[in-house]
Amino acid sequence: MNMSRPLSNVTLEDILQMPQYSLDDPEKNEVLLKLIKEQLPKTMANPHVKKLFEKQGIDIERIQRVEDVPFIPVQMFKYFDLSTNPNEKIARVIKSSGTTSGSQSIIPISKETAANQMKGLKSILANYMGQKRRVMIAIDHVGINDPKKEITARGAGVRGFSIFAKETLYVLKEYSNGELVLDMPVIEKLRKEYADKDVYAFGFTYIIWKTFCRQMKERGLSLKFNDAIVFHGGGWKKLTAERVSKEEFSRTVADLIGTKPERVHDFYGMAEQTGIIFIDCEHGNKHVPNFSQVIVRDIRTLKPCEVGEKGLIEVMGALSNSYYSYAVLTEDIGHLEGMDGCPCGRKGRYFRFDSRVERAELRGCGDTFRE
Amino acid sequence: MIKCYLLDGEFKDIELEDFDKVVLSVSKNRAALTNMPLKAITELLNQLGKSIVRDKKLAVLDGASFISLWLRRDNLERICKLNFMDNSFLDHFADSGAGFEMIAQPRGIVCHWVASNVPTLSFFSLVMGILTKNGNILKVSEENKDILLTLVSGLSDLKIEVDGKEFSGKDIIKTISIVSFDSRETGHGEAFSMAADCKVIWGGADSMRAITALPQKETCELIPFGPKYSFGMFDKGSVEGADFRSDIRKVLRDVLMFNQMACSSPQVLFFEKSAKPIGEIAQTMKEELTGLPERLLSRPIPQHIASKIINTRSLYLLSDDKEVVQSDGLDWTILINRDPGLEEPIHGGCIFVKEVNNIMDVVPFVTRKIQAIVLCTSDNRRRGAFAKVATEKGADRIVLPGAAHDFTLPWDGIMALNRLVRWTILYSKKADGGSNAAG
Repeated sequence: MNMSRPLSNVTLEDILQMPQYSLDDPEKNEVLLKLIKEQLPKTMANPHVKKLFEKQGIDIERIQRVEDVPFIPVQMFKYFDLSTNPNEKIARVIKSSGTTSGSQSIIPISKETAANQMKGLKSILANYMGQKRRVMIAIDHVGINDPKKEITARGAGVRGFSIFAKETLYVLKEYSNGELVLDMPVIEKLRKEYADKDVYAFGFTYIIWKTFCRQMKERGLSLKFNDAIVFHGGGWKKLTAERVSKEEFSRTVADLIGTKPERVHDFYGMAEQTGIIFIDCEHGNKHVPNFSQVIVRDIRTLKPCEVGEKGLIEVMGALSNSYYSYAVLTEDIGHLEGMDGCPCGRKGRYFRFDSRVERAELRGCGDTFRE
Repeated sequence: MIKCYLLDGEFKDIELEDFDKVVLSVSKNRAALTNMPLKAITELLNQLGKSIVRDKKLAVLDGASFISLWLRRDNLERICKLNFMDNSFLDHFADSGAGFEMIAQPRGIVCHWVASNVPTLSFFSLVMGILTKNGNILKVSEENKDILLTLVSGLSDLKIEVDGKEFSGKDIIKTISIVSFDSRETGHGEAFSMAADCKVIWGGADSMRAITALPQKETCELIPFGPKYSFGMFDKGSVEGADFRSDIRKVLRDVLMFNQMACSSPQVLFFEKSAKPIGEIAQTMKEELTGLPERLLSRPIPQHIASKIINTRSLYLLSDDKEVVQSDGLDWTILINRDPGLEEPIHGGCIFVKEVNNIMDVVPFVTRKIQAIVLCTSDNRRRGAFAKVATEKGADRIVLPGAAHDFTLPWDGIMALNRLVRWTILYSKKADGGSNAAG
């Protein structure tokens, strides 16, 4: 890394301004630990977070490694208000989809957090598609980004990705019963008027597959552009029954949008860490930006795993100052593919998502006390 | 597809379309066991018990030493006596004292559905079938089949002599078949059920409902074990007494054994208010847990349980009114709260700890789902009073610390051996020409 000031003086703003994936793993750990430790005393304003630190006897000053920053399981956002700012500083609240448990995560966002998240996302996307603005194809319906409605993770995703959009076209429409269908006038417009344009498309994986791909194929339609990049993420678990592989997904989407499969990028992210996404490179590895870190923890010992060992994915981030997002333990199983050595040239850790935590509950004869 | 690992005395790995061969083999070979005196059966099992603790592979199993002790001949005969009053009913017609003779005839083929939560469960189920001279077909999980096969194979080379006649363990093995099949294949489930003269089911609520609903012979007996729940209770005297630490150690072994998945695994420990605050008790528990053998602590935990432990720990860490004491990894977790009542089990070494004013305060939480209550009190009058009301409310067993999993009959309130036989009677004319009929 070539920086004008030593790592110990680097600010979050510096990290957001620099090209992403430029810090090697030890450098990033040093920078991130410093940034997070600066934030941690402020999180004591939240009584729940304070309790968590007190009960575990954690002295912030004595935290020496990123692995030692206490994690909070992602489920906790469903049970607790983890806001670290007074209410008046919360600009908006994001609610996650809550598909697994039925209840929603509540994520309070201040103006500063929102700005950091936007800058973070922009710097990540710039690494994959350059600084040039393009036409954005949102594979969703326009109502998902309605400012009058409550912000969902889907809406926040579309809004976030539109940062490089010089124009946004929504290719789906929603019927009053919630059914999503192709918005044919928009599709026709794209076919007729945008064939020579550079575009990027964004959508949730399951919506792209179950609605866009299915209906485009049924109608025998495809699109063509001068250059197209596709980003998709979220909802692989909703495709479990369809048994579609990432390769098949990329091939199908590439055919329908008129690009190469390697230009279809799956990404991993979560509403609780908005602004931080881990996009696949052309080698199929998910890369960790400079302002984040990924730790894979052994599900039995909770210790960090070695490269190649499967465990729970923990996502660390330094973007928020309005809720505890510094270390969020997911319910996803993954493994590190390596550190600083991906052939794509991006530095830092790179990993793969393997599965959701198994949900099967075989209780046997030892069961509930309820009659 | 049905996988069969033991058929006609041969340990093999074969695939079958249906149960015809299995039923035929077990039925045909059953006669040798029916004609074997109980004394011979118990002696063969006694020999098997001795060999288990000598086998390095088996000796490390949870409960291996208990199995060995349980298989002692005097213990087996005591269990039979508890069920039959007089063990000679198992071998021949004997005087009932009611004006006729009785014999306990085996029901025929016993089909066992065994949950996978306790690896050695299938063995106890099988021995009950053997003691009652039934043929046995056991549906076991793939993960636990090897334990059962190894235990059963220990009978292969055993030969004993009773009253000048030789008996072989092989004759018992021939009356056993061990199978596995996907429970979702209803055709196999129905056929297995229809083969049974008695169904022994060990499982959770869903499997219990599904298996009991399968078609069966009109004469089929049903013996359901589980789903059940267990907890522990310490009175003030025991908390303040000299044996507290050793009692805690024993209860914690009960907790951790079988990954806390058994119906007899304590999930909550209640402590009667005493001079020791609950935090101090938790500290003692922590010290004792740390000293337990590695094999009890470092066992694999299924992903869904690990996830539940992680989430519950954090719920307690983030809450104002809850406390948690935990190991670095997921070896054990002590969850302290003030909410009255029992808690949904988490398993994997997670024990809820609560304080109560009086041991009797726990009685309202006792239901028919309660299997074991590990009751720690040196006051036998209190013990008896608690046991009377707790068992009346539904608890099956009031046990001592360290004995939660000791397999005794009755189990789940059932005298199982008694139900594995048909009680038949014989009236005969007396030598003087009269009848021995009552009245």
